[in-house]
Amino acid sequence: MLRMLVHLDADLASSIALRYACQLSQLVDIKLHCVHVEEPDQDAHAPGTGWVRRTWENTVLKTGEFEIAQLIRAEKSSCPKLGAPKMLVGERENEILREIQRESYDLFVEGSLHSFAAKKLFDKIHSRLYRLIPCPVIIVKNLVNIEKVALIVRSEIESKNLISMFLKMFKDSKLKLDLIYCEFQEPGKLSINAKKDADGTLNAVEQMLAENQWPPENCFTIQGAPEEIGDELRDYGLLACPIHHTVSKKSNWFQLLSHIPSPILICWQ
Amino acid sequence: MRILVAVDQHPYSAHVVKDVAKLAGNTWADVTLLGVGPKAMDIGRSSNRAGIKHPLTEKLKKYRRTFLEHFEKEESPYEKRSCSYEFIEIKSGIWEELYVCRGARKDLRIVLRAGNPVKEILAQTQEDGSDLVAMGCYREGDCQWEGGLNLPQKVANNATCSVLVVKEEKQIRKIVCCLDQENISQKSIEMINQMVTLYQTELEIVGLTDKVALKPKVEKNLEAILKYYNARQIKAWIKLVETASLESFISQEAKRSMMALWMGGQSILTKIFPRGKVEKLIQGSQSSVLLLR
Repeated sequence: MLRMLVHLDADLASSIALRYACQLSQLVDIKLHCVHVEEPDQDAHAPGTGWVRRTWENTVLKTGEFEIAQLIRAEKSSCPKLGAPKMLVGERENEILREIQRESYDLFVEGSLHSFAAKKLFDKIHSRLYRLIPCPVIIVKNLVNIEKVALIVRSEIESKNLISMFLKMFKDSKLKLDLIYCEFQEPGKLSINAKKDADGTLNAVEQMLAENQWPPENCFTIQGAPEEIGDELRDYGLLACPIHHTVSKKSNWFQLLSHIPSPILICWQ
Repeated sequence: MRILVAVDQHPYSAHVVKDVAKLAGNTWADVTLLGVGPKAMDIGRSSNRAGIKHPLTEKLKKYRRTFLEHFEKEESPYEKRSCSYEFIEIKSGIWEELYVCRGARKDLRIVLRAGNPVKEILAQTQEDGSDLVAMGCYREGDCQWEGGLNLPQKVANNATCSVLVVKEEKQIRKIVCCLDQENISQKSIEMINQMVTLYQTELEIVGLTDKVALKPKVEKNLEAILKYYNARQIKAWIKLVETASLESFISQEAKRSMMALWMGGQSILTKIFPRGKVEKLIQGSQSSVLLLR
């Protein structure tokens, strides 16, 4: 059984991410684990070792424990699989990374509310955690129903990774799947058509999916500015896409990811 | 709820009457259809005796018919059901036989005023105690409203109640809603609720941030609003916008979404988005604009 780790803080983004993860765990055979990292004040240094340190850590944890417990309690009725969260003390990114490496999770989920400014997502993608994370990541920007998912593809080579990751996680689900190829152009000319892309990527990827007994329901090319395409894709419950850690902020590809209001599943290249 | 619909002779006015009829069907509002024209004649007698017709009288009658056609006759709250002569006590001990129509549960008034259109519309909102003024406008360029340059913008700036400027027929895909961040009134979220129902559309709720994050109180409010709309089966999205980027965000979104802005006295938006910018928004927007007060 696959295992996913959901990072929780006492905020709206985490509340949305938790609800989304619960929904996902009911559609896919995946076990849900939660983690909260309590960061001590920047000036506070961890004292000593052994009993002294443990006592200090317990005191720090108490401050966040109550709010996280409330968050879990609120979701428990609709998500019986939800267990007690793991509570850690330390620097957020380091602790999460250590936890993922230690327990070999298959998927990491966290909430990050959809933002007009691309900087927030850009910083996240270039963070130490995301640079070193060994598994795919779902960034939950809004709470949506997962009825239909889509793969956004760019090239045949990248798509192989994307598809094997996607199939590993979702193959047994009965989700409707669409396959999308994006062509970027000036704003004001958004168009969607069933015709295949120029370099044949859609055809090739469609065939890969068909060979794995999961042919897409729809397969189309969407042309437009990143913000128009992002807006157009809002009806999907999850959009899976490949991304390089080196992606530039001004690239159309990154701008598209930033403008998608729905949750995105990032497959690292 | 009382809605004032300001109309002229252009096609966008016929369109706004249809929209308000749908809104009135959901809210059972009292409605006034107001035409403003030049001061010319005694309309009450003109059409019969002197043969002079005010240019707006026929339009107003047509708009009334359009409005009423939205409702099934038996179920219409505006239908006057029975009319007869009845003795009514007009003062203590004095009765008068009056021709009385009973049955209309809600008020539909057709009013024609002469004078400066902006002043007359604002005066009528005061007299009626309107909660909402609705008016139409061409989709692009200046709102040349029956000779009054940029009339919707001027009404929007000076009205004390909410104002809805409906652009010519265009499918509204999304309502982008900038509510006051810390003091959101029940009335404003209900008005948004009505607009979502009216246009059968999705909702995007804007949360204003400083460079770091949302204020905890704003975040709690956003969560409460999200729950409110989700409970009503309304698909609501959240989008964070930095206060410094609000203007560019609004001008970008106004091209494809209906904008709903909370412009009450205490609103932070009135500071960030002063009168001149509101005018520019209404003028430049391709979609309808709702100013909540």
